Amino acid sequence: MRTRSCLVSVALALSFGAASANAQQRQITGRVTSATTGDAVVGASVAVVGTAIVAATGNDGRFTVAAPEGDVTLVVRRIGFKRKSVSVPAAQSSVDVALELDVFNLEAVVVTGLATGIEQRNVANAVSTVGAEQLTRAPTPTIESALQGKIPGALVQMNSGAPGGGGQITLRGVSTIIGSVDPLIVLDGIVISNLAINNNANAITESRVGGNPSPQDNPVNRIADLNPADIDRIEVLKGASAAAIYGSKASNGVVIITTQRGRIGAPRFHLTQRLGTYALAHKLGFRNWRDSTEAVTGIWADSALIGQLCPASSGCPFFDHEKELFGRHDLSEETFASLTGGTEQTTYYVSGLVKDEAGIAINTGYQKQALRLNMDQRVSDRISAALGANLIHSLARRGLSNNDNTNVSPYIALAFTPTFFDLRSSGGAFPKNVFNSGSSNPLQTLTLMDNTEDVWRYLGTANVAWNAVTTSRNRLRFNAIGASDFFQQRNDFYSPPELWFEPLDGLPGTVVLGKSENRNLNLSGNAVFTHSPEGEAYRATTSAGVQFEERKLNVLLLTGRGLLAGQRNIDLAASQTSEQTIEHTRDLGAYAQEELLLLNERLLLTVGARADRSSNNGDPDKFFFYPKAAASYRLVQPISGVDELKLRAAWGQTGNLPLFGAKFTTDTTSTIEGRVGRIVSKVVGDPNIKPERQTEIEAGFDATLANGRATLNVTAFQKNVKDLLLERTLPPSVGFETQIFNAGRLRNRGIEIGAGWTPIQTAQASLILRGTFFANRTKITELPVPTFQTLGFGTALGTFQIEQGKSATQIVGSVGKDGAGNAIEGVVGDANPDFQVSFSSDIQYRQWSLGMLWDWKQGGDIINLTTFLFDAGRNAVDFVPDGQARRTAFRTNGLTRTYVQDGSYLKLREVTLAYELPEAATRRLFGSKIQRARVSVSGRNLLRFTGYLGADPEVSNFGDQQIGRNIDVAAFPPWRSVFFSIDLDF
Amino acid sequence: MKTTYRLLALALLVSGACSFDITNPNTPPLLGANPTREQVQEAVSGLLLGARADYADWALEAGIVGREAYRFDASDPRWIDELLTGPLDPGNIRFGGDHWFEQYRNIRTGHNILKVIGTATALTAQEQDAVRGFVKTVQALDFIAVLDAHGQDSIPIAVSGDPVKDPPAPFETNTVAWAYVSALLDTAENLLRTGGSAFPFQLTSGFGGFSTPATFAKFNRALKSRVEVYRGSMLLFGCGVDGTTCFGRALTILEDPDSSFLSTTAPLSRGVYHVYGTGSGDLANPLFQDTATSIQLVHPSIFTDAESSSAIPRQIDRRFATKVARTAPPRSGGDPPLASDLVWIRYLSPIDPVPIIRNEELILLRAEARLGTGNLSGALDDVNVVRQTSGGLDPIALATWTALTPDEQLNRVLKERRYSLLFEGGHRWIDARRTNRLAQIPIDRPPDPAANFPGDVVHKTWPIPTDEVLARKPLP
Repeated sequence: MRTRSCLVSVALALSFGAASANAQQRQITGRVTSATTGDAVVGASVAVVGTAIVAATGNDGRFTVAAPEGDVTLVVRRIGFKRKSVSVPAAQSSVDVALELDVFNLEAVVVTGLATGIEQRNVANAVSTVGAEQLTRAPTPTIESALQGKIPGALVQMNSGAPGGGGQITLRGVSTIIGSVDPLIVLDGIVISNLAINNNANAITESRVGGNPSPQDNPVNRIADLNPADIDRIEVLKGASAAAIYGSKASNGVVIITTQRGRIGAPRFHLTQRLGTYALAHKLGFRNWRDSTEAVTGIWADSALIGQLCPASSGCPFFDHEKELFGRHDLSEETFASLTGGTEQTTYYVSGLVKDEAGIAINTGYQKQALRLNMDQRVSDRISAALGANLIHSLARRGLSNNDNTNVSPYIALAFTPTFFDLRSSGGAFPKNVFNSGSSNPLQTLTLMDNTEDVWRYLGTANVAWNAVTTSRNRLRFNAIGASDFFQQRNDFYSPPELWFEPLDGLPGTVVLGKSENRNLNLSGNAVFTHSPEGEAYRATTSAGVQFEERKLNVLLLTGRGLLAGQRNIDLAASQTSEQTIEHTRDLGAYAQEELLLLNERLLLTVGARADRSSNNGDPDKFFFYPKAAASYRLVQPISGVDELKLRAAWGQTGNLPLFGAKFTTDTTSTIEGRVGRIVSKVVGDPNIKPERQTEIEAGFDATLANGRATLNVTAFQKNVKDLLLERTLPPSVGFETQIFNAGRLRNRGIEIGAGWTPIQTAQASLILRGTFFANRTKITELPVPTFQTLGFGTALGTFQIEQGKSATQIVGSVGKDGAGNAIEGVVGDANPDFQVSFSSDIQYRQWSLGMLWDWKQGGDIINLTTFLFDAGRNAVDFVPDGQARRTAFRTNGLTRTYVQDGSYLKLREVTLAYELPEAATRRLFGSKIQRARVSVSGRNLLRFTGYLGADPEVSNFGDQQIGRNIDVAAFPPWRSVFFSIDLDF
Repeated sequence: MKTTYRLLALALLVSGACSFDITNPNTPPLLGANPTREQVQEAVSGLLLGARADYADWALEAGIVGREAYRFDASDPRWIDELLTGPLDPGNIRFGGDHWFEQYRNIRTGHNILKVIGTATALTAQEQDAVRGFVKTVQALDFIAVLDAHGQDSIPIAVSGDPVKDPPAPFETNTVAWAYVSALLDTAENLLRTGGSAFPFQLTSGFGGFSTPATFAKFNRALKSRVEVYRGSMLLFGCGVDGTTCFGRALTILEDPDSSFLSTTAPLSRGVYHVYGTGSGDLANPLFQDTATSIQLVHPSIFTDAESSSAIPRQIDRRFATKVARTAPPRSGGDPPLASDLVWIRYLSPIDPVPIIRNEELILLRAEARLGTGNLSGALDDVNVVRQTSGGLDPIALATWTALTPDEQLNRVLKERRYSLLFEGGHRWIDARRTNRLAQIPIDRPPDPAANFPGDVVHKTWPIPTDEVLARKPLP
C-alpha cells in the first residue's frame, strides 16, 4: 500500500501542463552524405542554430526542416561523423552537406548528469564510450564478454566458462571490502538489477560446509539478460568524480546503456542469422598412468582392482574423461531481426532475438528469446514521449562446477579418478567410481543431473519530456521517467537418486526449486535550464531533479531430499526444507548541477551535488551529500600537429550503500523436532551504519592529432574511500562471529590511457587502430581493527587478508616452516593485475573488412586449487615430475606460493572477417528488395597465451568479488566460439 | 524559480508518502524483555539447537584424532592432513579453529535468556528459576565441550558482557575453568530444585525421563560427576592428593540413586541425547552415512584391539559387532595412503540420536572414581557389569584384577570406555589426554624422509582460535 502511495505522489507531482505550438515560416530541404564514401547519412540531426528546431534525415539522407525567415545556420550532426555548420541565406531553400567521419567519437555527446550531456571535446571526465559497432564486432553469448578489452580502466572478467554468462565489471580497481562490488547499471535512464542469485547447488555440493560462508554456486549476474544487438552505446563513468551525481550507489562506477531508437523514414528491416559452435578452449589434461606398479605405488590401496584395470600385458589404458565431459561442439544458432522507421511524429524500433547455444559440457546450453519495442512519440511541438518495453526469456543449463565438499563437482571428481578407469556407461548404466571418495561418476552426474535457470524479465520505461521554454536564449526542459525492471528467476536443480553419491546421507535424490522475484521500481523527475546570453559569451546549463528507487527481492528455496526414482516433485520427497530471503530497499535522492561553458566553448566549469537517503542506512531519514566539481579547457592547435588539447580535472564523492540488513542484530532460527528455536545470529549489526564515502580526483588530457585522425586520452586518478563498510571478526568467545561497522580507509591510484589512430581513411580502404592501458594500486591506509582474512580456504592454501599498509588484494599464506614445523606466514601473491593492455585493429578494403581485439592482462595472482587437487590426486598431466615437485614444495616446505600462480594472459578476444556483397551480387542473390548483404566469420577467444596451470585465468569461485576474485576451484572450463553470420538490410 | 518549487514539492511528496523504515523481514529481533511463554519455549529450543550444532562434528573430528575413525574425503584433504599429521590451523573456523565458536554462541544465547527471564511476567518465580537452572546446565555443557577440546589452554569464562563495547573476557586457566563449571552445575542444580514440579517449556524426546526440573537435575548431576572424575584424573588443584577429593565428590553423586540415574539394571542406553531430524530447518545426523558409499570409516585398531568371549564359538565384543561392519573392497585415502575395510553402523539413520551422557558412561565413571578412591572391588564390579551386559565378554576375575598395577587397572577401565562410548563424542581422545595416555593412541604413518612425509602425530589439544588471540593484542 505504501508503495502505491509513493507511485501516486510522484505521478501527481510530475503531471505538468501542456504547451503551445510555435509558428514556422519557411522550409529548407537537403541531403546529407558521407564525405568519405558519398553514401547517404541516415538519422543525422539538422538543427537550426538559435532555435529549438531540429529535423532528422531519412533513409536517403534527405531532410526537410522548418526554419524562420532570414539567414540561418544549420548544424548537422550524426554519431560517427564530425558535425558541420552550414549557412543558408534567406533566399536559399536547399542545401547539401557532406560529413567527415568521426572514428573516435570526438564529437559525441557524453553523459554528465542524470539529464544532461556535453560534447566529448568539452567533457571534464574520462568517460569511455563503446559504440554498437564495437559491441557486435563478434557474436557474444552475453553482454559482459562483449565489453572485454574495450574500456580503459575496466577489468571485465568472466567468472567461469559456464553457458549463460556470469561475469564481473570492475571499474578502476578496488573501492570496497565488503560492500557491493558491481557498478550501477543504468539502462535508458533507469537503474536495472544486476543481481546474482544462487541456484543452491550447495544442496549437493555442500561447498559452504568447508568453513566458507559465501555461496560458490557460480551464479549468473542478471546483466547477462540484455541483448547486445539492441544497444546503441554504452558510456562508462568510472569513478566518483564522474559518477557523483548518482550518489550513494555509484562508488563502483556507473555503466550507462542506451538502446537503439527508431529513425525517421520508410521501414527498414535488418536480419542477422548466425550459425556457429562453442568448443573447449583449453584442456587441462590428466596423467597417463604407465602400468599397475606405478598406479599401486600411487595413492590407491586396492592393488587387485588396479591389476585388473591395468593388465601387465598392455599397461594402463587411457580414457579421456575430460573430452567426454567438456568436448561437445554442437551447432549453435542465433537469429536477430529489427525493424525501424517512422515519421516526424512517431518513430519506432522493434527487435527480436532467438538464440540457442549449445554448451561445451554434457547437458549444458543457453537459450534466449527477447523482444524490444522502443517508440518515440511527439505529442506536440513541446511534448514528447519515449517509451521502451523489453521482454526477455533466458534459459541456462549450467552443469555443475566450482568447489564442493562431496566430490561431485566434475573436475574435483576427476582429480581423484585415474584415467585408466572407464567411467562411460555400458547399456545405460554408469559404473560406480570406486576411486572417488564420494563414489561419484562425473559422466553420470552431468548426464542425469539437471541445473536449469529459467528467467523471465520485463523492462519497461516511459520518459516524458516537456520543452517548457524554447527561445534562442533560454531553454527549459522537464522530463519524468517512470520505469520498472521485473524478473522472475526459477532454478530447477535435480540430482536423481540413482546418482552414485546420492544415497550417502540416507536420503537419495535431491531436488531444489528456487523461485526468485525481483522488482526495481524507478521514478524520477528532472529539470534542465539552459541559458546563453546575447553574444553567446557563455552557456549555462542548470539541472536538478529527484530520483526514487525501490528494490524488492524475494527468494524462496525449496529443497527435497529422498526421492522416488523419476519423481521430481518436492512434495514426494522424504525430507523437505524451505528457506526464504527478502530484501527490500527504498532510496530517494535529489541533485542539482550547474555546467558553465565559457570562452567560446573552450572552458567548462561544473559543480553539482546530490543528497541521498536510503532505508539500508542506520538512520533512514538522514540525507548524505555528495558534491562534485570539474573543469576542462580546450587549447586549439597549441603546437603543430595537435589539433586540440584538452586539459581536464574533476573531483567528486560517491557512496556505497550498506548491504541490506547490515543495521540489524537479530536472533536466527532453526528447528529441532519440529519446534522452532531461536539462537543469536552470527553477526552484530550496526544501528548507525552509513554508506562508504569515496572521494576521487582525476586529471588528464585529451589530445586530437593529425586532423582528427588520432586521439590520445591520458588520465590519472586517486580514489580515497573512508568509512569503509567492514565486517570485523569478533573474538569468537563473545558468541558472535562478526560485527559490521564503518571504519578505515583505502586508497586506490591508477593511470589509464586510451589511444586511437586512423592511418588510412579513404573511400576504398581504412585502417583503425585502438589501444588501452590501465594500471592501478590499492592500499589499505587505515584499519582500526586487527588484520583479518576474507575469502580463501585458510592460510595454508592462500587467503585474502586485509591489513593496514598493505595492498587490498594481497594473498597471504605460508612461506616456509620454522624449526618446530609450524608454518611461517607471509605474503604470497596479489590478485591485482600489474597492468592491462588491449589492442584492436579494424581494416577495411573495398568489400572486405577484418577486425580483431587482443586483451592482455599482466600479473594478478590466482589461488589455483584446481591444480592443487589434481596434484593431491596424483593425477595432474605433468605429475611426474612437476606435480611431485609442487607437492613436495607445498607439503614438505610449506610453500603456499606453489599454488598461488601468476594469472597473466593474452587473449585474442575477437576476430571477424567480413565481406560486403557488391550491390549487383546482392540483387542477384536476394532480389531487389535487399539493399545490403554482408557475410562474416567471427571467432571469440580463439587464441590464448598464459603460463597459468588451471583451466583459465579468468575465474572466480566466489562469483563477483573485488577482493577475493581469482580463486580457482574446479571451475567450469573456458570456451571459444566460431560463428558464420549473414546480415541483410532491406 | 517555479521549477525548483515544483521539484521541492515532489521531493516532499515522495519522501513523505512512503516509509523508509523497513524492518528486517528475515529474522526475528533479539529476545527482548518480558518474554512470553512461547518466546521462552523458542529460546529453550534454541539452546538445545545450539548445543547440538557442533556436537556430531566434534564426535567425528575428535574420533579421528583419537583414532576411532577416518574420513576419506578427497575434496577436503584436511580431514587427514590436519587432523592426523597436523599442525592444527587455528586460523580457520573449520578444523583447527573449531569447537569453540558454536559453544560460545550458545553460551551467549543462554546469557540473553538469563538477562530477560526475570522480567517475564508470564512465568512464576519458580518457573523463572527452572529456566535459569536449565540454561546454566546447558551453559555448563557447552563449557565442558570447549574444555574437552582445549585441554592444555586457558579459556575465557566471563563472556556475558557486551560483544562489541566490552573488552574480551580474560583467559582463565583450565584449573579455574573446570572449577567454574563444577560450581555452575551446582548453582544450576539449586535453581532446578527450587524450580517447581514442571518446566514452563517442552524439551525434545532426547530428554525422555529427564524433562522435569527434578529429573533434569539428575542430568545435571551426571554432568557434574563427569566433571569431577575428569578433574580428579587430571589431578587439578582442589582435588586433593591423587584427585581423591574430586573422585569422592563424583562418588557422592553416583552412589546416591536420588541424585544420579546410574543403574546397573536399567538399560545402559538410558540417558540424555541430541536428537536429529530431516524436517525443514532441522539437522540430520552427520555421523550416519550409507554403508555402501560411506567415506567415514572405522580405524582398523578398533578391530585389532577388540576382545572376544571365551565361549565357543568365540564372540567378538558385542559393542564392536553392533557398531562396526565390514565392507569390501577396502576404502582408502590420504597420502601416504591409509585404508580401512570397516564402516560405521553405530548410527542407523539420519535421525538416530547421539548420546550426551548415558547410564553406561555413569557406570564406568563410577568405576574410575572407585578406582581413584581405592575401592578396587567396587570398580571391578562396575567394569564387569559393562563387559558382560554391553560387550557379552567374560568378566575379569578378582584375582586377575588385583594383580594389576593401578595404571593397568585404569587402562582396563579406559578400554571399556573406548568400546562402550565408541563414536559418541571423542571420548577415547579425551580420556587418553586427561589420564596422560596419548602415547597409547596408535600412529599409522611414521615419518618417511624419502617421501618427504613428516609422520603423523596425536594432537594434544585444539589450539585457541587465532581471532580470539588477535582480539587481545594491541593494534599495530
